[in-house]
Amino acid sequence: MSAPFIATDPPLVCWSCHERSLGTHFCSSCGKLQQIPQALDYFALFELPKKLWIEMDGLEKKFLQLSWKLHPDNFVNATETERELSLKRSSELNDAYRVLRDPVARVEYLLGIEGARKEGEHKQQAPPELLEEVFELNESLDELREAKASGGDLAALKSRLEAAEKNFQSKLGEVDEQLRSIARAWDAAIDANADETARKQLMARMNESLNRRSYIRNLVTNVQKELS
Amino acid sequence: MGRIVGIDLGTTNSLVAYVDPRTNEPKCIPGPSGSTLCPSVVSVDPDGGIIVGEPAQRRLLTQPERTIYSVKRLMGRGLADVQDELKLFPFRIDPSSKNVIRVRLGNKLFTPPEISSFILRELKKWAQDYFGEAVDRAVITVPAYFNDAQRQATKDAGKLAGLEVLRLVNEPTAAALAYGLHEKQRGRVAVYDLGGGTFDISVLKLISTAEGDIYQVLSTNGDTHLGGDDIDNLLQAFVHEQILRQHEIDFSSRSELAQQLRKAIIAIKHQLSESDSATLRFPLPNSAVFVYEFTRGAFEALIRPIVDRTMSPVKQALTDAQLKPSEIDEVVLVGGTTRTPLIRRTVQEFFDRKPHTELNPDEVVALGAAVQANILDRGVKDMLLLDVTPLSLGIETYGGAVAKIIPRNSTIPASAQELYTTGVDNQTGIDIHVLQGERELAKDCRSLARFVLKTPPAPAGLPRIEVKFLIDANGILQVAAKDMRTDEQHSIEVQPSYGISDSEIERMLEESIDYAEQDFAERQVIEARTESEAILNATAKALANPQAATLPAAERAKIDAAAAALKESVAGSDYKLIRKRIDELSHATEHLAEIVMNSAISSALEGRKVAEV
Repeated sequence: MSAPFIATDPPLVCWSCHERSLGTHFCSSCGKLQQIPQALDYFALFELPKKLWIEMDGLEKKFLQLSWKLHPDNFVNATETERELSLKRSSELNDAYRVLRDPVARVEYLLGIEGARKEGEHKQQAPPELLEEVFELNESLDELREAKASGGDLAALKSRLEAAEKNFQSKLGEVDEQLRSIARAWDAAIDANADETARKQLMARMNESLNRRSYIRNLVTNVQKELS
Repeated sequence: MGRIVGIDLGTTNSLVAYVDPRTNEPKCIPGPSGSTLCPSVVSVDPDGGIIVGEPAQRRLLTQPERTIYSVKRLMGRGLADVQDELKLFPFRIDPSSKNVIRVRLGNKLFTPPEISSFILRELKKWAQDYFGEAVDRAVITVPAYFNDAQRQATKDAGKLAGLEVLRLVNEPTAAALAYGLHEKQRGRVAVYDLGGGTFDISVLKLISTAEGDIYQVLSTNGDTHLGGDDIDNLLQAFVHEQILRQHEIDFSSRSELAQQLRKAIIAIKHQLSESDSATLRFPLPNSAVFVYEFTRGAFEALIRPIVDRTMSPVKQALTDAQLKPSEIDEVVLVGGTTRTPLIRRTVQEFFDRKPHTELNPDEVVALGAAVQANILDRGVKDMLLLDVTPLSLGIETYGGAVAKIIPRNSTIPASAQELYTTGVDNQTGIDIHVLQGERELAKDCRSLARFVLKTPPAPAGLPRIEVKFLIDANGILQVAAKDMRTDEQHSIEVQPSYGISDSEIERMLEESIDYAEQDFAERQVIEARTESEAILNATAKALANPQAATLPAAERAKIDAAAAALKESVAGSDYKLIRKRIDELSHATEHLAEIVMNSAISSALEGRKVAEV
């Protein structure tokens, strides 16, 4: 795929008619589809503030409106440049909708564009308060694998693991609730025009919750895999 | 530019359809036999001639070694993938096959896209003969659960058939489009599509907006190797066993007999959709006749495992769409195999809703493809399809694990960016392995492509290369890379893991030099000339009739002018012009024809009176 060279630096100039273009998606002079301005994040694409509560019906409506305009079907008979642009713009739109629709992906994305998402080193480490339970779980998993290999009795082990799975599922629910509560605090902070420090604190808390969540989710997936 | 059509390239049958501009309704185009179904069977003559459809199907019985059916099962697959199929299908796969299969037909080798291109070419011919105009573009349908390689193979087949493939549309989505148009359905729709060789389930939301209707696919699932063929195989294995037991004749080693038996068994299967029992009578080589009565109950018990196999994708699709069966407003059945009463009952019970079967389940996918073709052709649209990718896209990470970068059921086009850097000083390349599938280990997923990202020599960690993975509106992967430090685009040579490389496609295209278009124009001119000769003769004869004298002078002048113009056009080779002049002359002579006809009728009546006397 060879992307066409298109100037995006301000002032925004249409690649086709070279007039200054004021429209977000289409040139205000000649009507041609435009490259997405680099500053336009997923929230801005949907004309939303960077808040974490999003009204789903409105989001869907906007998504469908934009799909109608940007979808490659509209550009089948257009120039190659326009076809490439439509592919790029509509894929960005779909990516944005996919992320914003999902409450967790939305938080991750927000932290990402704010430069506050930090994963990796903490990912493999159990949160301290879970250490004991995780240790037990891993032991049960090992026993189950051994029993499977040697043809031993699985029923008791399985029920133990099922109980553990339920336990971690409910922990997952707790993390999600925690995440929702920080998200509400974040929205309130935005509304109140809170300062940088307050925002950074909230983002750090969100980051921590996300890491916890991804750790517990991995545990649950592993257990489910062994049980199935 | 020529005309555009919608094509359903099926496992068992293929169809071609278009939207009639007068009625705005989609319509399937019949072939020479009058049927709109073209059996997806290809046979190769000893002299290299290609035979497709019903004549090829007849050859399955007489020359099975140069004839192939169900080639769709081989599309986009490697030798290792098709071992199971080989036990059941008489494919003669060349031992040289690796990641692209080569099938032997007579003494020549063909790839599955080449064989499919012969079917597409036949359908193109049907359409061209029907329109009297060239066809050069198409929308082709594929099973929703087809992976990247299977889609690419289908697109290659179109290219080899001399068709520009404007879009690959998922079969259940196409069916929903045809039904939506027909029924004006709204709400959440489940499309259950069980064809000859593939099973798809798609859940859609139909939304009316100010601009028009939107068909949004919420989720899709399926099995690209599950269909009516499997029912036939099951029945055939059952009958083989009965024959072996009762008569000690082994059919599995007799390919011509086995094909004849298969044909008889398929007829029994069809009968059992209509009646409660059917009797198979099959003459055996030992001059005995094998007789077996199937009851519908026994038949259903035999095929239940296959029907059950379709239900777990159905459940998964609903889970992915976050819907319960009761939240589905409409259920649509597509594919010839859904005529089986057991399937209808099973689906109806699961959704607690009577499924739609109003449209011909064999034709509905082609009709939907024609609707989409029409939308793309006109550029102005009153409806929009938003489809999804059926399988997650991932990249291999350390230790053979897969990191998912585009989840399944993402609306397409969809993309993901990954940033790469080097691990050691002066590293010149980074290996990238792209996969499709839901499993966690690379070895359990479908390999799509491998490529090496070239990096300029630099200290470890310094190069920053962004790779963009994009799934286009056809569900096909595109890859682009950009050096983040220089903002330069990198070109990447992606070698598909399965499928034919671009250069190989070019070579095949050159080999199969496309005489077809040229032939088509020549044939059209000859036909138009013959037709004009006929109408000129008929006009001259009518003018010679004594009653023609009653024709007003002005009309007579018009006829003469139209006839002269036609004669002039016949000297050239513009068949469209000749056809236009034929139409004009035929229009000018309408009144004359009426006068002559009336005189003929009255003289006929007079004649009878005379005879009666």
